[in-house]
Amino acid sequence: MPSFIEKNHFLLRRLHSLTGIVPIGVFLIAHLLTNSSIIWGGAALREGMHDAPFADKGIAYFQEEVAWINTQVPHLLLIEITLWASLAFHAILGIYYAKTGSANTDRYPYQGNWRYRVQRLSGYLGFLFIFYHVATLRWGWTFLVPGGTEWSFRYSASTLAAALHGSTAGLTTVGVVVSLFYFVGVSLLVFHFANGLWTAAITWGLTISRAAQRRWGYVCTAVGAALMLMAWMGLFGALAVKHDDAKRIETQVHQATGADSHVAPAGSVADGH
Amino acid sequence: MSATASHTTHARPQAKPGRTVRFRIKRCDGPGKPVRWETFAVKPEAGANIISCLQQIAASPVTVDGQKTTPVAWDSGCLEEVCGACTMVINGKVRQSCSCLIDEYAPNEGDEITLEPMSKFPVVRDLWVDRARLFDALKRVKAWVPIDGTYSLGAGPRESAEQSESRYVMSTCMSCGCCLEACPQYQVEESPEKWPTSFIGAHAMNQARLFNEHATGAVLKGARLDTLMGEGGVNDCGNAQNCVQVCPKHIPLTESIATIGRSVTIHAIAKWFRG
Ligand code: SF4
Ligand code: SF4
Ligand code: FES
Repeated sequence: MPSFIEKNHFLLRRLHSLTGIVPIGVFLIAHLLTNSSIIWGGAALREGMHDAPFADKGIAYFQEEVAWINTQVPHLLLIEITLWASLAFHAILGIYYAKTGSANTDRYPYQGNWRYRVQRLSGYLGFLFIFYHVATLRWGWTFLVPGGTEWSFRYSASTLAAALHGSTAGLTTVGVVVSLFYFVGVSLLVFHFANGLWTAAITWGLTISRAAQRRWGYVCTAVGAALMLMAWMGLFGALAVKHDDAKRIETQVHQATGADSHVAPAGSVADGH
Repeated sequence: MSATASHTTHARPQAKPGRTVRFRIKRCDGPGKPVRWETFAVKPEAGANIISCLQQIAASPVTVDGQKTTPVAWDSGCLEEVCGACTMVINGKVRQSCSCLIDEYAPNEGDEITLEPMSKFPVVRDLWVDRARLFDALKRVKAWVPIDGTYSLGAGPRESAEQSESRYVMSTCMSCGCCLEACPQYQVEESPEKWPTSFIGAHAMNQARLFNEHATGAVLKGARLDTLMGEGGVNDCGNAQNCVQVCPKHIPLTESIATIGRSVTIHAIAKWFRG
């Protein structure tokens, strides 16, 4: 193993940097955009539910989006496997590389040094979080979900809310712990991506002068702030969802799109997107 | 550590004449020997620096507890912050001891100054460390202009004013090791056989850039980039950017690192296609 890493040092280092942006970072953007639509989706819903409350329309839009991703995106399993493999590669090498450093923020408490430190910490914690998140909501490891709710793309908001709340009846104490873990996890991961985007530009030699690094820093801060907002919208939007109400709305969506089957009719997809 | 924050203020504080400054020093009699702490009371002369205080201690090596001990060993050369030999960790921060002036740094009665050797190099004795790996890194990146040969090469190439200005500051590096001491990616490594795969450090990447950008020095650019592409090279930098914060010569080290990053990217792609 070490000799393989030594021989392919450059390639592995740069693949480590690249995978953080493509596919992982690109997926993160798409994922948080979809998740946050549970809040803003009411403004984007194109048909039906004209007199429904804004929050209900958000749930309906989110459901349509999630159902579309899970039924209409081609080669979904291939995309997912690529993502899981990239995440595993990025995480394993990341831990291997992080072990070569020794934090010294106590003596040199510079902002850049803190970011260096938090980048590594957020990598460790973020990976644990992603593992829990994917295992429970994607791979159906319901024994790790308090309340045992299995997430379903056909009832995306209601089952998500129940998994976060720890029950279908409302927020439980374990649910608070899970939700806090989600809050810390997504926040750290958004930081990890924004800061990684900033350092990747130095690694590849795109930003050279201090001024260029500062300018790119503003861009990465803006990207990070926007993603953070989306992450929190998605999380707090899901926490605000009441399981039974959401289930009713999701059933309505299925009826409206004529989709009690897994596949929405092509017409509704063309209209909706 | 007591009140020594005064060195950060801009208005120079008036040093109290006849005051006593305490020096808490991390001591070690030699490689592999145990570490101990000793405190000395010194009455600094006007205009004293850390080195002159160490000279006072050497003249009468008695600790504050009245224990007679050996003189504290240190390294120094120029005494004007151009050779880098006297670098040590002063109150937790790496810097040159010759340019650390006591009147400013510890102006009050009872001020305490903690001295430690740099932690990223093997200790020879007390505050004196062996920076051999730092110089070895300069050899690894061939930090020179090749002019040896059997015939005269004639006059050197002309350099534009802009270029010479940008290269000048890079050339002021005094191999002091501050950038390595503060770097979270640079760890102490005593065995020379591990040096070729251990992180090379910001100073060497800056020197590689200095000579890559020299018209004659550029002849060795490919060899330098081969070294910096491999294990221990530019990719092992974690972008904490402590190096640029602590460099006493204000060398734009992070720009040099990014420049090497760009050169290595291009070099690797070219090599992959060229074979
Ligand atoms: S930027 Fe790189 S070389 Fe400089 S302190 Fe950070 S890790 Fe070390
Ligand atoms: S780059 Fe600066 S800190 Fe590093 S060795 Fe040279 S002068 Fe010292
Ligand atoms: S003695 Fe030369 S830098 Fe201090």
